[in-house]
Amino acid sequence: MDHLVSLLLLALSTAIINNFVFHYFVGICPYIGVSRRVDMAFGMGAAVTFVMGVASFLSWMVTYFVLRPGASLTAWVAGLAGADAGSMDLSILKYAVYIFVIASAVQFVEMYLRRFFPPLYKAFGVFLPLITTNCCILFACLEIGTDKRMTSGSPDFWPLDLALVYALCGGMGFALAITIMAGIREELDLCDVPKALRGPSIVLIIAGILAMAFLGFAGVDTNIGKLLGR
Amino acid sequence: MTMILLAGAVLLVLAIGAALILGWANVAFRVETDPRIDAINAVLPGANCGGCGCVGCGDYAAAVVQQGMAVNQCTVGGASVATAIGRIMGVDVKASWPQRPVVHCAATQEQRLLRAEYRGERTCAAANLVGGLQGCIYGCMGLGDCTHACAYDAIHVKDGLAVVDYLKCVGCGACVRACPRNIISMIPFKADRVLAVCCSNKDFGLEVKAVCKVGCIGCKGCERLMPDLFKIKDNLPGIDYEKYDSATDFAPVLNKCPMKRLMYVGKPTPRDLEATKDQELPKEARADFKTTVDETEWRG
Repeated sequence: MDHLVSLLLLALSTAIINNFVFHYFVGICPYIGVSRRVDMAFGMGAAVTFVMGVASFLSWMVTYFVLRPGASLTAWVAGLAGADAGSMDLSILKYAVYIFVIASAVQFVEMYLRRFFPPLYKAFGVFLPLITTNCCILFACLEIGTDKRMTSGSPDFWPLDLALVYALCGGMGFALAITIMAGIREELDLCDVPKALRGPSIVLIIAGILAMAFLGFAGVDTNIGKLLGR
Repeated sequence: MTMILLAGAVLLVLAIGAALILGWANVAFRVETDPRIDAINAVLPGANCGGCGCVGCGDYAAAVVQQGMAVNQCTVGGASVATAIGRIMGVDVKASWPQRPVVHCAATQEQRLLRAEYRGERTCAAANLVGGLQGCIYGCMGLGDCTHACAYDAIHVKDGLAVVDYLKCVGCGACVRACPRNIISMIPFKADRVLAVCCSNKDFGLEVKAVCKVGCIGCKGCERLMPDLFKIKDNLPGIDYEKYDSATDFAPVLNKCPMKRLMYVGKPTPRDLEATKDQELPKEARADFKTTVDETEWRG
């Protein structure tokens, strides 16, 4: 029960309160580039959610077994080489390995979809390669890879279920943000925007105002947690 | 030292593993595409204009092969591309003509009744919502949505009227989709210059006269003279371009038309170019919507 509550709170906190776009300001390039039409924006959001889930699962695996201090595989290899297993810490490789994992996962998923789910490939097709270099995916992986002790989680590493909920809800938060922005931008076509502000600049200003609006959610998770007896 | 070696080994193993998986996936998940799609793709102009109704040239090539779409839909490529695709697909191509837009309105700023000064958002879409901008609720408003939509710099507002530059136009149809009053339509250009009806006013006689100096009054004169070619509907003649033949002598109809709304549109002839050679034509003239209601010559 306690674990379920912490999952729920994490989901709420990631998707709405600490929204990737509005709170951390990552993933801004697709947020501005692909938010012209609501259907396109929704497709992009769905693709990001999907890839974020896959990528964070893989990077969790790599981190857990190879990269973190005292990881089992690394310790075993170090033991084979006769070195001191305790001093092995490959966390420095995080950036390189995550980028690598994300890029190959996206490539693989693209081929797989193309073969077995052509309609889905048609819907995602344009967006998938774009997502390869999307910073909010890397951000999610890095957050998961960081040795953050969740209050209810395992004492030494962020557990897999929390990590997956974090990634998927982060993706949903991104989808929410980009869809809201696309809706606003469709209406913006009819508005009299000053010439200097047209295009991306007014979008950035709106993003700032939206971020302020989303600030209003701050503390909601703590209060819900109190209600649920945490 | 062990750390460095270990780090290198981890990256190497990851790279080899990913390379193996991706290489296997490339073979295992290979999708057999029809070679004809690539062949058609090579023939198409690659403008990705969307004139055929598909998202891009690649989409159109796939649609031709897989869904049996007609081979002559590429408006940019015209007949040559249609025959090339027809050769790839093994079908005969009927004569196909390049489609070009025609603005069915030829009233300049001075020739129409302007009801009120318009100070709103300067797009046709917005102006069309409020109405009352000008007397004619069918005609061109001259705020240039088509100009903005055109990727080829081929349609401009001159004297408050959208004019197509047929030397630059490729026939993608973006202006047709942009016009909120739907007064631009694509017609087959069977010659460099074809006859078109340059008015969209569906009212009759006096009501047209009240708002436009030059609008078609629906007198049916053209239909009486050439009943095959001209069909009056909603007080407006329509030209049947299936039967249209540029060799026909249209002089009687042109002379009969009281408002001279049957006009030749298309590429300028050498004579036209000669006549306007010395003139310094403005590249774009913005409509200046001042009201003409007070001027007594109007009965609107």
